[in-house]
Amino acid sequence: MTRFIIVRILQAIVALIGITILVFFLVRVSGDPMALIASPNLSEEQYQKIKESLGLDKSWGEQFWIYIKEMTRGNLGESLIREKPVTTMIGESLPNTLKMTVPSFVLSMLLAFFLGIMAATYRDSFWDNGVKFLAVLGQALPGFWVAIMAVLIFSVYLEWLPVAGMSTPAHYVLPVLTMVFFMLPGMMRLVRSSMLDVLDSEYIKLARIKGLPERVVIWKHALRNALITPLTIIGMLLPTLVVGAVISEQIFNWPGMGSMILRATFERDFPVVQAITVLVAIMVLGVNLLVDILYAYIDPQIRYQRS
Amino acid sequence: MVIEKGKKKKIYTGLKRSTRIIRNLTLIIPAAILILMIIVALFADLGWIGLPDIGLAPQDPNATHPRDKLLPPSFMEGGKSDYFLGTDRLGRDLFSRVIYGARVSLSVSLIVIFITALIGTILGILSGYKGGRADAFIMRVTDVALSFPGLLLAMLLWVAIGPGYWTVVLALSVLGWAGYARMIRGESLRIRESDFVAQAQVVGATTWRVMFKHIFPNIVNSLIVIMTLQIGMMILAEAALSFLGLGITAPTASWGSIVADGRTELDRAWWISAFPGICIGLVVMAGNFLGDWIRDKLDPRLRQL
Repeated sequence: MTRFIIVRILQAIVALIGITILVFFLVRVSGDPMALIASPNLSEEQYQKIKESLGLDKSWGEQFWIYIKEMTRGNLGESLIREKPVTTMIGESLPNTLKMTVPSFVLSMLLAFFLGIMAATYRDSFWDNGVKFLAVLGQALPGFWVAIMAVLIFSVYLEWLPVAGMSTPAHYVLPVLTMVFFMLPGMMRLVRSSMLDVLDSEYIKLARIKGLPERVVIWKHALRNALITPLTIIGMLLPTLVVGAVISEQIFNWPGMGSMILRATFERDFPVVQAITVLVAIMVLGVNLLVDILYAYIDPQIRYQRS
Repeated sequence: MVIEKGKKKKIYTGLKRSTRIIRNLTLIIPAAILILMIIVALFADLGWIGLPDIGLAPQDPNATHPRDKLLPPSFMEGGKSDYFLGTDRLGRDLFSRVIYGARVSLSVSLIVIFITALIGTILGILSGYKGGRADAFIMRVTDVALSFPGLLLAMLLWVAIGPGYWTVVLALSVLGWAGYARMIRGESLRIRESDFVAQAQVVGATTWRVMFKHIFPNIVNSLIVIMTLQIGMMILAEAALSFLGLGITAPTASWGSIVADGRTELDRAWWISAFPGICIGLVVMAGNFLGDWIRDKLDPRLRQL
């Protein structure tokens, strides 16, 4: 088990280095970033000065070395447009993103597990059909469109909910629901099918035969085992989470990371894009690592391996 | 044994009649929607076979009509019969834009599906058949690709090579192969143990020959199922990119970008955002249902209950 974890950690580090190199050179193949920043009527001298101050006069190899050195000190570079360190920008926007994503994630998971389990337990009932219908809609309708239609109905026509900003709790309703729409259907379907698998197993039959109340069978015996599959693929929810956050922040003018990176992309502010990509890569690898370890812990074949 | 009287003896035909009809409808309706959309996309205009004046789109999608801004659909009060679905804030015909938008959405997703299926199949078979280090390496990369947010990659590519049709195709392809690779690997692992593979190895078939003459034909069914189910995913992904402004550049219409165009006019012209979104939903649903149907026919093992 220890050996397994160490190997996984080493692999994650190698992957991180690979991604960092890839990202660093990818944002530079477009050519000279100076062409995007400097206005054309600068004098040659001013141009050189700016170039030097940004460290763009050095070779790619040197730039990469400086970049890595700074990154290990926690310095992720500076925005070309806003002339602020990227870390400061993240510090300003990350809390706002978390204020939206954390409640959305928790709500989605609670709903997914509750609805998925109910649907599996009462198969082909009203619950089950409702869940299946919701899953079909959720996987077909684009989240951004549903969000805009919600704005149209609840903000434009009914005037119940505000559209932009984050000053009152009412401002949270539509953005959070938008994100729930992104995450809920897939997870709910997975919980349902995982639960159906478990309910079909021998030990559930045994639990029923020995006369346990159905409540205990479902919520104690079945649930524990039905949790395993969905938990191990939580890592794969990350892309959905990112897309949901960016789209939701864009639609509702939420001043978070999603809006920030989208703006940086359009402004071609490559240090910002680069820094956030690397940060997300660290997050992705970290979550995968955690899931691997979790899985190793759950799976006795790996847990009892001799190192 | 008590025999109930008055009940006709039923001949067992496998499924109830109503179930059979529903089964067939879940094939016919989605297939019809997809074929209709493909025809619409192909024949929006016939410029590509030298007949630019004939086509299904009533107007040039980018032609502006300053006098007819934000007109409602023709079936509503105040609509003009020239503009079936109304006009946007530049007075462009929404119906024509939606028709041309089908072109972008469908072509991008079909191209991406072929590229990713090709890469994913090769890597998946290689990984499953060869095993060992190649397998470990490919599967680690697959794990990362499956959990890396494609949206960030699209942004990175947007910064690196600029916006455009092929940037979108690339952004969706770079990570899209991973799902295929994982699935096909599993299938290959199973088929590798078959007798016919062992026999091929005994008579001295090369690795490539075993992979493509013996293993590949046995995974084609699963491959077709995944590819069909990907139609919807890819259309949604392309729409999301266009919606955020990371897709095909303006003024070219794509369903996602038309929805985005309508955002600022929601209080005056809801139809701009509403109709392209309905098209996306219809096509994606059609793709998903068709995929489900094909899966039930070809490869019921893939079914997720």
